Amino acid sequence: MSDAIARMGLALVGLLGALGVGAVFSAPRITYGQDADQILRKVDAVLQPESFESYRKLINVEPSGAKREFLLFTLKKGHDKIISLFMSPASEKGRATLRLGDNMWLYIPNVGKPVRITSLQSVIGGVFNNADIMRLDYHVEYDVRKMEPKLKEYILDLKAKNATVAYDQVKMWVDKKSFVPSKIECYAATGLLIKTLYFKENKPFDDATLRPSVIETDSPLYKGYQSIMVYSRVKKRVVPDEVFTLEFLGKVETIR
Amino acid sequence: MVGQAILFALILLAAPLAAQEKAQVDLAEIEKEIAALAEKPYHVGGFFEFQPTLFGIDRDSTFARVRFYRDPPPHLFDQYALRLRLEGSYKKDIFSVFLKSDTAVRNELPGWKEETKLFEAYASVKPNTSWIFEAGKKVMKWGKGYAWNPAAFIDRPKNPEDPEEALEGATLATADYIRSFAGPVKTLTLTTALVPVYEHVNAKSGELGHVNFAAKLYLLAYDTDIDWMIFTGSSRTTRYGFDFSRNLATNLEAHGEFAVINNFALTTANERGQLSSRQSDAVSYLLGVRYLSEQETTYIVEYYRNGTGLSRAQMTDFFSYAQRSYRLFQETGDESGLVRAQRLLDGAYGRPNPGRHYLYFRASQKEPFDILYLTPALTTILNVRDGSAVVIPELSYSPMTNLELRLRAPTFVGKQRTDYGEKQNDFRIEFRIRFHFSL
Repeated sequence: MSDAIARMGLALVGLLGALGVGAVFSAPRITYGQDADQILRKVDAVLQPESFESYRKLINVEPSGAKREFLLFTLKKGHDKIISLFMSPASEKGRATLRLGDNMWLYIPNVGKPVRITSLQSVIGGVFNNADIMRLDYHVEYDVRKMEPKLKEYILDLKAKNATVAYDQVKMWVDKKSFVPSKIECYAATGLLIKTLYFKENKPFDDATLRPSVIETDSPLYKGYQSIMVYSRVKKRVVPDEVFTLEFLGKVETIR
Repeated sequence: MVGQAILFALILLAAPLAAQEKAQVDLAEIEKEIAALAEKPYHVGGFFEFQPTLFGIDRDSTFARVRFYRDPPPHLFDQYALRLRLEGSYKKDIFSVFLKSDTAVRNELPGWKEETKLFEAYASVKPNTSWIFEAGKKVMKWGKGYAWNPAAFIDRPKNPEDPEEALEGATLATADYIRSFAGPVKTLTLTTALVPVYEHVNAKSGELGHVNFAAKLYLLAYDTDIDWMIFTGSSRTTRYGFDFSRNLATNLEAHGEFAVINNFALTTANERGQLSSRQSDAVSYLLGVRYLSEQETTYIVEYYRNGTGLSRAQMTDFFSYAQRSYRLFQETGDESGLVRAQRLLDGAYGRPNPGRHYLYFRASQKEPFDILYLTPALTTILNVRDGSAVVIPELSYSPMTNLELRLRAPTFVGKQRTDYGEKQNDFRIEFRIRFHFSL
């Protein structure tokens, strides 16, 4: 019964959106708990498989147009394990990052032992921070606070599950058919917009799922700067849990 | 509310226009580059470095007088240092090898000096992800402290003024067993090591002719890194350690280290240069935090209690003795006191931090004024007991990929007969250019 009411409400709000009546901030604030959560899980599944390997190019673009590029090999397993290895440039080669849930470490070959890092720091400079580079699935870190259906997309308003998450609030524009997000805004607890992510260049990877291969980001805190993340060779791969340990941070290259 | 809606709508309308001005990426080119790197089983790279340094020498300090009593150095000394660091690795199936060498050429007060060291050279066998066997020369990297690691029983001590620099490893054989779990204990790693000490192998690591044993048990439990370590054998007295590290918030990390060295022998000199040696259990510990502010300033603060260090009175006695010996040499030509003082400086008195209580503070600002890759920093190491310190302003900048520039000016502050007040230099101005390469 409650599901039926929710669906009716969903249809009504969708209709209002289609008529252009539902202005973003004046739309009725209705929560569609389970449906919205399922939509968020579908977004996660589209953005990246649950366990996979990939190569990523990170590009920091300065206002002058100058670029700084980084190439990373990344392995993710389940909902909370990510390990990344810097392959280039030469000054960063061998650096590796590990994330286990809320715990993050950085391994710098010269320094030796892995040091704990925090989600708001950035190991590469630029607009992407550690939480962006080692992002967990959104549904792991966020609850859907409200969902606003529009004609062709959903707007999801997410709230961090706890204070250890990098962004307190996230607003996500999701295509209704493909569940591919087009834009995500990340906010601090104060309501300050920290950055906006733009998802582009959808293409099929090894399992034929259409995924965004390019993520661009800019930030009012870094006016004129832009960072771009390009995904390549995304394919499902399940490795043992032992790979996601501090001992392995200096040895990621051996399993690439 | 209506105003907000209009503003938001304007932003939405403007977004596509802004996006058009954004940088474009050549996806095909990126795919090609990734394909080339992904298939490569080997790596050769490293860096070239050029570092001119201006030393402001305190000719009246104990260090300068003891080291250069025959030929007093100038007030200012300019040094030019070149360094080549080479790294290589190769992997095939479960086997891999790794090499790191360091060659440095620089002019020192007595003349030019060239030094080549093999920092690391080891082979690794990884039959599966739970077992790793390695043998050769490598750095073990134990401990959680940033500036000091009292529980790093195998590695050479770090330079706390520059703790991120690579170290020369020790020759050993290790076996790692790694397990992961679901639940509050997520990871367990047991590392065991055999550390031989012979004439040409780890010769400075204690009594020759023995193979020593070391082990470390690591747990990631309740989101906290915890290590227990032990080193035992006939080359050195047995030592035990413990460390931890935990993120208390997204921007705050806390860590600590604790170490006990059984029957640690410390040789000291009194005011008249008479030596005495005492054995006791040395207890060292370190507590530290790393904090990232909203303005993206990273603060590192560590307190270090050095159980192997010298008391304030022991250091003052040594400085008095060395200075008296210098005066005696000037008056009579008798250098025996200074020769003895030199030997002491080669031991416990000449360590970078010979005292017992130190405080480390570092503040670094990421990319101020929106200038990417620029990091100004200020570091201070304070001898808590005598109030002397080294203060290190620093500016790091990377103007282009693989090129790093660093300007530092360590300044030593302290009265006579204090730790930093008696160091050889009043200040140094260092400019380092480092260019990384990959073949």
